[in-house]
Amino acid sequence: MIRFATKSGGNTPGHLQRTGPGREALAGLALVALPVAMLLMLTLWPTVSMVIATFTVDGHMSTSRYAYFFTDAYSLANLRFTMVQGLVSALSALAISFGIALYLRFSAGRIATMIHALSLFPLFVPSIIISYALVRFLGPNGLFQLLLEQVGFTHYRTPYLTPVGPFLAFVWEALPLPVLVISAGLTQVSDHAVEAARDLGAGPIRILWEVLLPQVRRSLLIAFALIFLGIIGAYTVPYMLGPAAPEMMGVFMQRTLGNLHDADAAQVQAVVLMVISSVVGGFYIATMLKSQGGER
Amino acid sequence: MLSRRHFLASSAALTLAAATGVKAQDRKVLQVFIDGDTNISGWWNDILKPAFEAAVPTHTFNVTITRGVADGNGTIAERALAALQAKADPQVDYFEEFEPASVAGSIEAGLWEEMTEANVPNLKLVNPAAVEAPIRLPYRGSQVLIAYDSAKVANPPKTFADLVAWAKANPGRFTYGRPDKGGSGSNFVIRAIHEANGKDPSAFTKDNFEPAKAEEMLQKGWAILKDLHPFTFGEGTYPAGNTPALQLLAQGAVDMIPAWSDQALQALKQGVLPETVKLVQLQDLALCGGFAYSAIPSNATDLEGALALANFMLSPETQTSCVKDIGGFPGISWDNLPAELKAEYIDVIPVSIPTFPSGDWQKAKNDGWYKNVATNLTQGG
Repeated sequence: MIRFATKSGGNTPGHLQRTGPGREALAGLALVALPVAMLLMLTLWPTVSMVIATFTVDGHMSTSRYAYFFTDAYSLANLRFTMVQGLVSALSALAISFGIALYLRFSAGRIATMIHALSLFPLFVPSIIISYALVRFLGPNGLFQLLLEQVGFTHYRTPYLTPVGPFLAFVWEALPLPVLVISAGLTQVSDHAVEAARDLGAGPIRILWEVLLPQVRRSLLIAFALIFLGIIGAYTVPYMLGPAAPEMMGVFMQRTLGNLHDADAAQVQAVVLMVISSVVGGFYIATMLKSQGGER
Repeated sequence: MLSRRHFLASSAALTLAAATGVKAQDRKVLQVFIDGDTNISGWWNDILKPAFEAAVPTHTFNVTITRGVADGNGTIAERALAALQAKADPQVDYFEEFEPASVAGSIEAGLWEEMTEANVPNLKLVNPAAVEAPIRLPYRGSQVLIAYDSAKVANPPKTFADLVAWAKANPGRFTYGRPDKGGSGSNFVIRAIHEANGKDPSAFTKDNFEPAKAEEMLQKGWAILKDLHPFTFGEGTYPAGNTPALQLLAQGAVDMIPAWSDQALQALKQGVLPETVKLVQLQDLALCGGFAYSAIPSNATDLEGALALANFMLSPETQTSCVKDIGGFPGISWDNLPAELKAEYIDVIPVSIPTFPSGDWQKAKNDGWYKNVATNLTQGG
């Protein structure tokens, strides 16, 4: 049993077990049976059979497909590009949203409310819309370039169809989640703690590093994991805004399956991405469990 | 009450008949199935229908759009095949576009009506390059052309070599779409492959794909495109499809792209592309294109009417509308169209309409392009 019962300190495992294998427990099992069955049938089973299929070549166990992936310069370049995009975009989104959250924590008033609303706005915009909007805004001879030229800057090079294009869209799209999570973390830091540190002569950087950051470290880690996972699996944004090559894994998989009809290779790509996602996902779960344990 | 209701109903019917005219009621309705895009179904409903009713007063047609429903026209064709075997009414007279071979056994079963000059007189006008088999009626086409901004390009290229020379002399002002994302980029890549292999499209057939030989033939094409790569827009960032490429031209980011004839002509008509954009076809060897083929089931509910519709579709009037209203290419020879129309489109009329086989060749071409041309690996990207 997961130790979630210890979370609030109200129920203890002993309380829960008191119901025993009675009717209530059966009812609970019946309730959870359907989603669990769905999970097994629609997620776990296809995943397992797919992983097995990637190791089966002409009826024999073989790692040749993986050997191809990890020796093919083109596939590796795509994987590397995906990881770099994920890391750089996720870290940038975190840094920016940390700044926004800090500002929101220590200011109030109409402007703060407006900035808060603005930072959450991307939550309601589908990625296909932001992609088209960025093409028109940042694209060649787009609005941004025209504005720059108005003030005499004529050396604009559009990020459209370069790695910077998807980077900008990813950061923009990823902002709301960390702003929410970090804001929530920062509200737990009492004004007294900050004032006490200041009274003891701590500068702003020291307060940030030793008082604020430790409080939101877990929020940051969780937000990072979620954003990173979202980006490495992205399709629309890199398809619309990114360069032809290297491709991000989502685009690469789609092309391998949809255009080349090479299901085997696409599955190998999917498994590689899945393993990386699982590592980051496991890290996320560990952080979650630790934070629940920490509050005990 | 009953009689009163009956009276009301019959008087309403009479009023309706008086309003629409008896003639309309006498018209036989042909069932036409279309699974093409809205530009095609809209053209049939809004422009062709009144013209057909005027040309063939005994008939009219009803368009059913099968786009995105099950297998589209394929499902209807399977129903017609079942009806042929059961000697039942297939409830279909005309397929706007259909490949008979896609329903297995339908050709052998005699499902498709053979069209000759005997039953469709206007077939004598058809472009010889488009003729395939008597069960396929070529009635419209499209082809990839070079679209350029005449305000920036004084002498548009007439040959592939001209085009490459222009692109190199004007770095960043030419681009083409990724070959797997749209036919305009794809057919440009094919044109480069043709260029590298003696300008001979017949060297590529559905059955002659052989990996080692194909690799050798394609590599020659990649050499041309790799050479062009640093001179394209953004030094080798290729737009992701037909529309993104047109967008770059419309925004003035590039001055020349390959584009589908119908998409470019329609964009010009709608003002999406500036008026200064002109179209030209390469005259040494044209870029690829293809025709849309109509088909008529031999057991059509009204076979005679369906053949009359086929004949109407190949009339110079309808074919003129195909060029003017949807930016399509005519199924009949340009010589059979009004002289002024031919003069207007003289730059885009191809000497030939090359094709490139589907299947293995397409796959090898698309994947090879990504691995050999688009990649910036050697440049440290």
